[in-house]
Amino acid sequence: MTDTTIGQDRGQASIQVPRPAAEQSRTFDWTLLVWLLFAAILVLIVVNPILRLVWESVATEDGGLTLDNYVKAYSRTRYWQALINTVVMGLGTAALAAVLAVPLAWACVRTDMPGRGFVRLSVLAAFIIPPYLSAVGWVLLAGPNSGWLNKVWMALTGAPHGIFNIYSLAGLITIMGLHLFFFIFVFTSSALELVSSEMEDAANVLGAGPVKTAFKITLPLITPAIIGGLIIIFLQSIALFGVPAIIAIPARYPVVTTQLTEFFSNNRVDLAAAYALPLLLITMSLLGLQRWMLARKGFTVVGGKGGERRLVKLGAWRWVMFGYALLVSVLAVFMPLTVLIQAAFSKAWGRGFAFDNLTLSHVNFILFEHQGAVPALVRSILYAGTAAFAALALALVIAYIVKRNLLKGGQVLAFLCMAPFVIPGIILAIGFYAAYAPPPLALAGTALIIIVAFTTRLLPIAYQNSVAGLSSIHVEMEEAVRILGGGRWLAVRRVVAPLLKRSLVGAWILIFVPACQELSTAIFLSGPKNRVLSVLIFDFSEEGKFEQLAVLGGLLLIITVIIVAIGFRIVGRDFMLRRQ
Amino acid sequence: MPVLQLKALTRTFGAFKAVDNVDLLIRDGEFVSLLGPSGCGKTTTLRMIAGFTDPTAGSIEVDGRVLSSASGSLPPEKRGMSMIFQSYAIWPNMTVGQNVGFGLEIRKIPADQAKKRIAEVLDVVQMGHLADRYPAELSGGQQQRVALARAIVVNPAVLLLDEPLSNLDANLREEMRSEIRRLHEALKITTVYVTHDQAEAMATSDRIAVMNKGRIEQVDAPYIVYSRPKTRFVAGFIGRTNFITAKREAGAVRFDGFAIPADRFSDLPGIADLTFSLRPQSLKLERTAATINGRLPIAGQVTKRVFLGEHWDYTFQPVNSGLHLKVAAAPSDVFEVGSSAVLALDPALLVAIE
Amino acid sequence: MKFTRKITRRQFGLGAAATSAGIVLPSAARADLSADAEKALYEAAKADSEVTWYDAHHHVELAELYGKAFNTKYPGVKVNVVRTTANIAYQRVAQEIKAGSLQCDVLSSTDISHSMDLKTKGLLEKFTPANAATVIPALQNADPDGFFHVTSTGTIAVTYNSGKVKPVDVPKKWTDLVDPKWKDQVSVGHPGFSGYVSIWVYEMDRLYGWQYFEKLKANNPQIGRSIQDTLTMLRSGERMVAAGSTSTAFESKVKGEPIDVAYQEDGTIVVVAPSCILKGAKKPNAAKLFMEFMSSPAASQIAVDAFGESIHAAIKPKAGLPLDQLKTIIAKPPLLLKAQPELKEKWRETFGV
Repeated sequence: MTDTTIGQDRGQASIQVPRPAAEQSRTFDWTLLVWLLFAAILVLIVVNPILRLVWESVATEDGGLTLDNYVKAYSRTRYWQALINTVVMGLGTAALAAVLAVPLAWACVRTDMPGRGFVRLSVLAAFIIPPYLSAVGWVLLAGPNSGWLNKVWMALTGAPHGIFNIYSLAGLITIMGLHLFFFIFVFTSSALELVSSEMEDAANVLGAGPVKTAFKITLPLITPAIIGGLIIIFLQSIALFGVPAIIAIPARYPVVTTQLTEFFSNNRVDLAAAYALPLLLITMSLLGLQRWMLARKGFTVVGGKGGERRLVKLGAWRWVMFGYALLVSVLAVFMPLTVLIQAAFSKAWGRGFAFDNLTLSHVNFILFEHQGAVPALVRSILYAGTAAFAALALALVIAYIVKRNLLKGGQVLAFLCMAPFVIPGIILAIGFYAAYAPPPLALAGTALIIIVAFTTRLLPIAYQNSVAGLSSIHVEMEEAVRILGGGRWLAVRRVVAPLLKRSLVGAWILIFVPACQELSTAIFLSGPKNRVLSVLIFDFSEEGKFEQLAVLGGLLLIITVIIVAIGFRIVGRDFMLRRQ
Repeated sequence: MPVLQLKALTRTFGAFKAVDNVDLLIRDGEFVSLLGPSGCGKTTTLRMIAGFTDPTAGSIEVDGRVLSSASGSLPPEKRGMSMIFQSYAIWPNMTVGQNVGFGLEIRKIPADQAKKRIAEVLDVVQMGHLADRYPAELSGGQQQRVALARAIVVNPAVLLLDEPLSNLDANLREEMRSEIRRLHEALKITTVYVTHDQAEAMATSDRIAVMNKGRIEQVDAPYIVYSRPKTRFVAGFIGRTNFITAKREAGAVRFDGFAIPADRFSDLPGIADLTFSLRPQSLKLERTAATINGRLPIAGQVTKRVFLGEHWDYTFQPVNSGLHLKVAAAPSDVFEVGSSAVLALDPALLVAIE
Repeated sequence: MKFTRKITRRQFGLGAAATSAGIVLPSAARADLSADAEKALYEAAKADSEVTWYDAHHHVELAELYGKAFNTKYPGVKVNVVRTTANIAYQRVAQEIKAGSLQCDVLSSTDISHSMDLKTKGLLEKFTPANAATVIPALQNADPDGFFHVTSTGTIAVTYNSGKVKPVDVPKKWTDLVDPKWKDQVSVGHPGFSGYVSIWVYEMDRLYGWQYFEKLKANNPQIGRSIQDTLTMLRSGERMVAAGSTSTAFESKVKGEPIDVAYQEDGTIVVVAPSCILKGAKKPNAAKLFMEFMSSPAASQIAVDAFGESIHAAIKPKAGLPLDQLKTIIAKPPLLLKAQPELKEKWRETFGV
């Protein structure tokens, strides 16, 4: 080691580096104002609609308070039945999803099953097909008399009736389960990725066989993830609007969302609000339960990171496993897609696959004749894109405030960001409607109300992604900028932003895709000038125009796939399959 | 020139007093370590100096100018300091050269001068050949050197180091701590160094401030902190020691089993109940009292021994005493357990502590 | 208080006047929209530049055809077509009014009770199109005060999959639909969603009492939302018979699909569907122009071309029988309005949805 020209004495350096000018007075941190502004926005888009919802449920016409609405909303056995039905449906969906997802996740992460990449893509595809679209697909597949599956069954067996009836509780559960099992898959594979082979080896060494190891060691380790996934799926399924509207009404299986629509369509926003609030409480307590479970010490996978993971050799069983995975993919993706594509290009879908049944007229009608279709498509992209930017910007700032402890009560902001997660889309729409449709804002039927509602609805995803992204950036990265003389803004611009770039692109897509497909909020806020594609699709489903609906759905899917593919290129293939 | 002064500096988190009334004056060009166990408040103190944390009470001044006080603080970017972080905080989106040059860029140093300066500093930390690498391509030690270069390139008024070596393995840690000291010798930047590792603190510092429970217990040069600890905590935290209690009697200090004339002590507090710290290294075991020169012989027995390679670790029990004294001895000084021995004790090395 | 009769073409108008159906024959036929008046209105409408039309009369393509025809006839005035079910349209309008942000200018509902309700609440703009005088007299003056006007009629009959239902089995009376032989083969819409269906429910209840629906329930009908859902079920072979709209059924039939219509001996139900202008409509003149358009023979021609019913005597339906050759049932709006909430609730109690 030799001393160089840097000098034996400070100040003797070959180049004088000036110190920042000494300032006696403390400069005011102007950014505080910006943060306060964002906090205010949050109050406006999250707190107010919820408060308005609560208010609607207890307010009388002349501004007094009453519990009358609650009495009315639960006055009939039919209303209670809908609630019970909803719980049954949710439990069934969660159970089915677990059966579908857990083996697949294990096979994809821990075994040498062939086609793992393909299976992962299928799982993703199952998720990005909007559930109302697959519901229509399943109507075409498993309508009791006319569905393709039943036709094939009748042709094969000569039976007078089909065996599948999509218009049933089982049908509801199947459609929802095949869509929502994505969540358990993601949660479980993330957990499995943390279980090192050493943990399993430790059990093997003690004499446990592979099956015993799987059930005694691996399964308990991933149980919190599975339960977390189950809860999410339960909550998602009970909040879905499109699938019950398409399936549950013909199935004569009323659920909460169809009941809410009834109240809403009778212009009883007050009853809808009162009916919705218990659902909100269920959701909140379940999510609380999930958090509590995940927080329990000793129940989470610790110290697994970095541990080596070997793939379990399944031998011949790997083909069995692959068969199962293929079956799930076919049910969740390929069958509904095939019949929808068939419908899109058929004169009448019921006439089947025949050359004389082929037509481009529906494509032509949607693209060139229907006045509403193309504008709705454009709106969907525009609204979803704007909402994704808005949600991300808001979530980022708040996540930053919270992570960096910049404001007292930052946790409250974080809570508010996550709060929309517990609010089913329909309920949020009712709250938004109550809060912003009337004057003075009079946002009914405007683009703004939909964009803001989407923003609110997807704020939790944005926030979680922002927190995850910021957590990966050590606070010292920024402190290093600041101690060298850079302000907070410079630190954000030069260090935080570049490091977040990739995860932000991923997050944007994770918001854009569901926003583009969002139905349950949009349906209640949509007017002629702000009608989005999902609502238009739903309107078509009301008329049974499945062929044209299929064309519209196809457009929606094409956009989604393009955006996701861009995400793959920029962020890497797995970004949507990671637990956020 | 910068004199960094902490005045009655206090920081509470809720009911917890992380830093409690700390006074410390760091002279220009001095290298001071804040040494203490985790949770003692040393990092909080450092972060207050840097401006990342505001004090609850007290102040931080540089050359008499208040940087931090309970009523407000100059933000970190206005302090002209540099800091090396525990995580290094090397920006992964910039090359080594860009990392090092960042501070110069903020100071609007013309590009050509900056380039020259970056090269110089990188050479100082022996990283000149890796200027175009990205941090992910560097080893832990190399990242540490980048952090060093980035901190010193701007010629800071005060350099702050927050446990900079805790993420390195033992060999590299030893290398880097001498590197840090070498740089300090060369640059004479006023430095505050936070560590829980006494060897690091000893090897690098002009003075060590030993902290415990938010307070500074002693500030002194490393050898004084070691040889003349002021408190029980300092004596126990730095090195190993024997704590012996004694009673002051007329003209003598009475220990359990033996007494020492009062005039043999260098300085003796005027209280009746005394506690002394006695380093195992300042004791010596002999076979007979005859070999002891100028020290007090205390007869007794070896009750335990552990061989640690560089030295023996004996436990010695004086005759008619309940004391068990740890004694260090050279590998060649072999005593069997149970054998009789004589302990050579220099009363000057008995340090009375509070 | 309904009238059920077999009428000839001549009788159609006179008979209507004589009944208590609430449709009053005008004392003298008025002239249709004069060219000058049309031009003046067109000019005024141009200033509005657009008109928003909530349409529950027609299915998607047909609604778009109307929109196109209007846009072609009156360049510079663009109609925003919002095709939806009667109930959703009504619900949106009601919410818009509540919100003080009216989007809809012209509402064409299939559920006359909606128009009556809006009228009672003073939410409609009084306007009688000059062209209303050209309409079949029986359909004129649906509202004696001139707040809404029949712009479309539809007929509900039994529709069936002719590939699956043998000619001898084709239902002849509405009661045949609840015959146990059609178990798992009936398709109906939902009165909570569809104005057509709610009128059908009203008439069936009136004719046969609620046990009609108890029997229907035993047949496990497929319950769609709109009345068009029933056709989808027939086309796909999901169900064999339905209480459906004749116009789309005929359209399918002409396209070569195995669909046919059976008029019922106990009465084909005629749905008179009114259009109205909302009070405070943002585009009042364009709305008026659109009302004229909807009342004009040109509009009937569009309906007929799409296998719909005409509201002008001179324009004959493309398939099926004209109204005057059928035994028809036309519901009386005020009673309909009164009975509907209860019937919808009864339906929900019976069918669970």
